[in-house]
Amino acid sequence: MRCPGHEHVSRRALLKGTLATAAGGAVMNWGNLFQSRATAAEVERGQKRCILLWMNGGASQFETFDMKVGRPTGGLFREISTNVPGTRVCELMPTIAQNMDKLAVIRSMRTSQVDHPGGIHLMHTGYSEAAGIRFPEMGAVVAKYLGRDGSDLPNFIKIFPHGNTGSGFLGPMYQPFTLSPEGNLPTFSRSNLNPEIESRRSELRSFVEEQYARQHKAETARMHREAYEAARRLQNVQAVFHIDDEWEKYRDLYGDSAFGRRCLLARRLVEEGVPFVEVGQSSYDSHADNFVWHRGLLPPMERAWAGLLNDLEQRGLLEHTLVVWMGEIGRTPSINNRSGRDHYVRSWSTALAGGGVKGGLVYGESDEDGIDVKDNPVTEGDFFATIYQALGIDPAVEHYNGVRPIPIAPFGSKVVQDLLA
Amino acid sequence: MLATGSDHAILSGGNLRPGPASQVVSRLVLCRMAPCRENYPEYARVNSVKPPRECLLLALLLVWLSPAGFARGEEGLRAEIDRHVEAAWKANKVTPAEPASDAEFLRRLYLDLLGTIPTHDEAVAFLDDSDAAKRQQLIDRLLDDPRFARHQAEVWDQVLFGRNPPGYGTDKREGFQAWLQNQFQQNTPYDQWVKAILVAEGNSVDDGAPLFFVQYKSQPEDATEAVTQKFLGVQLQCARCHDHPFESWKQLDFYGMAAFFARLQVVEVGKKNNLAMYAIGEKNRGEMLFTGPVTEQEVGQKGEPVKPKFLHGEPLEEPELPADFKEDRNFPNGKLPPKPRFSRKDQLAEWIARPDNPYFARAVANRVWAQFLGRGIVHPVDNLSDSNKPSHPELLDLLASAMVEYGFDLKRYIRELVSSRTYQLSGGGEVEAAMPSWFERARARPLTAEELLDSWRVAVGYEGMEQASGRRPSDDRYAPLGSGYLMQFFGAPSNGVGDFQGGLHEHLFLNNGGLSSLLSTAKGGLHDTLLNSESPWEQRVDRLFVSLLSRRPTAEEREKFVAYLTAEQDPQTRLNEAIWVLMTSSEFRFNH
Repeated sequence: MRCPGHEHVSRRALLKGTLATAAGGAVMNWGNLFQSRATAAEVERGQKRCILLWMNGGASQFETFDMKVGRPTGGLFREISTNVPGTRVCELMPTIAQNMDKLAVIRSMRTSQVDHPGGIHLMHTGYSEAAGIRFPEMGAVVAKYLGRDGSDLPNFIKIFPHGNTGSGFLGPMYQPFTLSPEGNLPTFSRSNLNPEIESRRSELRSFVEEQYARQHKAETARMHREAYEAARRLQNVQAVFHIDDEWEKYRDLYGDSAFGRRCLLARRLVEEGVPFVEVGQSSYDSHADNFVWHRGLLPPMERAWAGLLNDLEQRGLLEHTLVVWMGEIGRTPSINNRSGRDHYVRSWSTALAGGGVKGGLVYGESDEDGIDVKDNPVTEGDFFATIYQALGIDPAVEHYNGVRPIPIAPFGSKVVQDLLA
Repeated sequence: MLATGSDHAILSGGNLRPGPASQVVSRLVLCRMAPCRENYPEYARVNSVKPPRECLLLALLLVWLSPAGFARGEEGLRAEIDRHVEAAWKANKVTPAEPASDAEFLRRLYLDLLGTIPTHDEAVAFLDDSDAAKRQQLIDRLLDDPRFARHQAEVWDQVLFGRNPPGYGTDKREGFQAWLQNQFQQNTPYDQWVKAILVAEGNSVDDGAPLFFVQYKSQPEDATEAVTQKFLGVQLQCARCHDHPFESWKQLDFYGMAAFFARLQVVEVGKKNNLAMYAIGEKNRGEMLFTGPVTEQEVGQKGEPVKPKFLHGEPLEEPELPADFKEDRNFPNGKLPPKPRFSRKDQLAEWIARPDNPYFARAVANRVWAQFLGRGIVHPVDNLSDSNKPSHPELLDLLASAMVEYGFDLKRYIRELVSSRTYQLSGGGEVEAAMPSWFERARARPLTAEELLDSWRVAVGYEGMEQASGRRPSDDRYAPLGSGYLMQFFGAPSNGVGDFQGGLHEHLFLNNGGLSSLLSTAKGGLHDTLLNSESPWEQRVDRLFVSLLSRRPTAEEREKFVAYLTAEQDPQTRLNEAIWVLMTSSEFRFNH
C-alpha cells in the first residue's frame, strides 16, 4: 500500500542521526542535525545526487553524438575523434570529446511524444499527459527519495526551468524551487524584514504554535509547522546562490557563458547536498537554420558541461552525482528547405555521466542514415527506469493517484543494465 | 451468475503476446492512457476474492425497499448517526474526544457552511448568547445565509471541474458557477440539477450547465470516467483498457456506458462578454467502437460497435432510424444544434438520477458526509466498490435511504449532519490522523484558497477598510491577493490521495510579504481599530483573538500578547506582527 513520504524521511533522518551521534554530537532536533559543515560532508558523501542538463527544444543528434558524415542526412559539420578510441562526435564539442571517457551516450532513444509540450512533459515525468493526473517530475521523485529532511535548501531546484507539472500528485512538499535564467531567486523567497523584527515575530509565532500543538496532534499541523521552519532556514543559506565570489576562479573551466554560470551554481547546490538540480538551455528548436543554431548553442554548452564534470570529479562528487543530458525530442534526419531539422523521436540521442553509470560507452545504434533504431531501442520508460536505478531508487516504487497505483517509471519499463556501473 | 467466463483472462497470461518493449510501447501509444500494470502479466497482482455483485445489489435493493431502512426515532437522522458512530466506537474500543466548545463549533460551522470565519461581532454575539438552543439557531440561520449557496457552489465546482479542468474554455466558467449557485440558492434537489448538467440544454454562458461536457469534447471515454466517478462514485478507468482485475467491471461495461456519450458534440454558438458560448449537440448516428484489451490491439484495427448499456443494468432500447435518414456530418457553429430523434444522453441522465439507481444516492450521501466529517464512510468517496468496504455499512445504508427520502434535498441532509453530536466533537486529542477513521474527533481540514482569502478578509476587516476609503470595491473575487498567487500557493495543498502537505512555498509567500495588502493600517480595519482603541490592552488582545481565531485568548496567551504589544512606546509595528502571527498560524490554516 501507499507509503507516506514522511516515513521515508524520518527513517533516513534516524540513520543520519545515528551517524551524527557517533561523530560525537547527540542532537535531538533533526532540523539542526548538522551542526558543523564537516559532519554534514562526512555523512552526505555517500548521498546520491542528480543534475539534469535540459536542452530545451530538442538538440540534434546529427550535430552532437550520432553523426552521419557523408550521408544525405549528415549535415555540415565534421566528426572529431575523442579520448575514447573509436568513438567520434561533432566538431562543435571539442571539450566534451576530451571527456568522452566520462560519458555513456545512448544513440537509440525512441520515445512517444513528438511535439514540445507533450515531449517536455514526457521527458520530465516518464509519462504522457493524461486527463486528470498530474504526474511528478523526475526531480520531485528524486527529492522524495533522496531528499534530506530538515535541510536548509530545497530538495528540488530548477535553474531556467522548463516543464510545469512540478511535484504533481506527490504534493507540495516536493515542489521545485525555481530560479530565473540568471539564477535569481523567485518572488517571496527573501525576507525583507529587519532580522531583529523577524526573529521576535517568529518567537511569538512559535508560542502560538506550541499552544495549538498542545491540544491538537493532527499530523497536518505538524507538517505546517515544519514547512514554516524550512522557509525560515532558507534565509540562512542564500549565500550559496551568489556565485560571483567564485565565478572569477571558475570562468575558464566553465566557459564565460550564462549556461556556464548556471552549471557552476548547480555544482554549488549539489555540493551543499541538494539531491536534484535542473539546468536549462534554450532553444534548440531549429526548424530553420539548424546549423547556425547549433554552432551558437553547442560550444558554450559543451564547455560548461565538461567543466561541470571535471569540477565534480575534482571535488570527489562525480561518483555520487549522475549528470543527465537530454532534451524533449531529437531532430529529423532530413534537412528541410530552410536548412532546418524538424521534430523526431524515432531515433535520437541522450547522454549520462557520473554516479552509477559507466563512462566511455556508446549504447545502441541507429541505422546508416539515422532514420530508425538499428539496435537496442531505449524508450522513455527505460531511460527513466535506468536513471532511477543508477540513483539507487527502485523504478517499480508505486504512488497512488486516487486509487490508481502509478510506479515512478511506467509499467513495462526496463532498466538498461549495460549502462550501469 | 451474471458474470460469466473467466474474469481475468488477461491475468492468466494466456491471451497476451508481449513483444519486445518497443512494440509494446508503440501499441500502448495507441491508447491515450498511460501504461498500466494490468497490461503486463508479470506485474499483475493475484486477484483478490470478489464477492458476487448480485449480493451487493440485492442488499441495496432490500435497504431501499425495507421500511426498516427508514425506521428512525423521533429525534431524526442526527440521532441515528450518533447511535451508529457510538456503536462503532464501542466495538473498536475507541475513546471519543470531548464535545466541541462553543468557539470551536462556531468557527467550524461558519467555515463548513459559509466558507469563511465569523466576524468579530458575530462571534461575540454567539459566544455570549446564553440560550440553550443557540447552536441549532445558528445552524438554521447559516443555512439560509446567501453565502451558503455561494460556498456550496464553490465546493461542487471543484468536484465537477477541479483546479485544472480539461477542455478549451473551461477555466472561465462564471456562467456555470452562477447557475450552480442559483441551484443552491433555490435549494433545487440534487438529482434535478445533476440531471440538468447531463441533459445540458441551452448554452454554457446563459444556462451554465452545458459547460460540464465541454471538458470532454470528442472524448467519450473521458466523459464516461468523469460521469461515473463524480455522480455514481465508481471508478471505471481500469476497465477502459482491460477488464478490471479485482472489481466486477468488464471492459464492455465501460464501453457500454461510453456509447451514451459517443454522439455528443461541442458546438460554439456565439460569444458574450468575450466568453465563447458552447452548446452540446447530439447526433442521430455514431457508435462507440470496441477493440478489446489494449495490449492486443493492432495498428489500424477498427473495432466492433458497442450498444449503450446501463452500468450493471439493461441495454438501452433504441428505435431504428428510417432507412433513408440523412444527417449532416457536423453541426454548424453559431446556432443551437437540434435535438436528435432519440437522445441517448437524456436516457442516461434519467437513469443516473433515479432514486433507485444503486449508486447515485449512496455516492452523494457519502460525498457530502465526507465534506463535513472528513473521511467518507467509503473512502475515498469516489470509489464505491466491492473491494473498498464502508467503515460503517449500516450507517451508509441509512444515509443513502435518507437522501432518497429527503428527495435529494441537500440542505435538509446537511442540517442533520451538522446537528449530530458526532459533528460537534472537539478537534483536540491525541489522534494524529487528519481524518480519524472512527469519527472520534473532528477532522483537521486545510482551508481552501477561497476559504483562506475570505477568512483573512473578514479577520482584518478588509470590507471596513474598503468602505472607509470611499473607493468602489473591486469586483475581483480574489482581491486583494489575486487568483494567480492564491492558486499558486494555496490552490492544491494535497498529494494524490487528498492528504494535506506542508509546502515551503506557501510559507515563503506568507513570511516574505505576500500578505502585505491585507496587513494594512488603513481606517476601518482591525489594525486601525485596535491601535486607536482606548480600551486596556487586555481587551484589545481579546478582540484580536476573536477577530482572527473566533475565540478569546487563554490567560497565558493574553499575557504574552499584551507584553509583546506594549514592549515599546509605539505599538504600531508590533501590532502588525501580532496580526500576521495569527493569520499564518496552524490554528488559522485548518478547520478543526
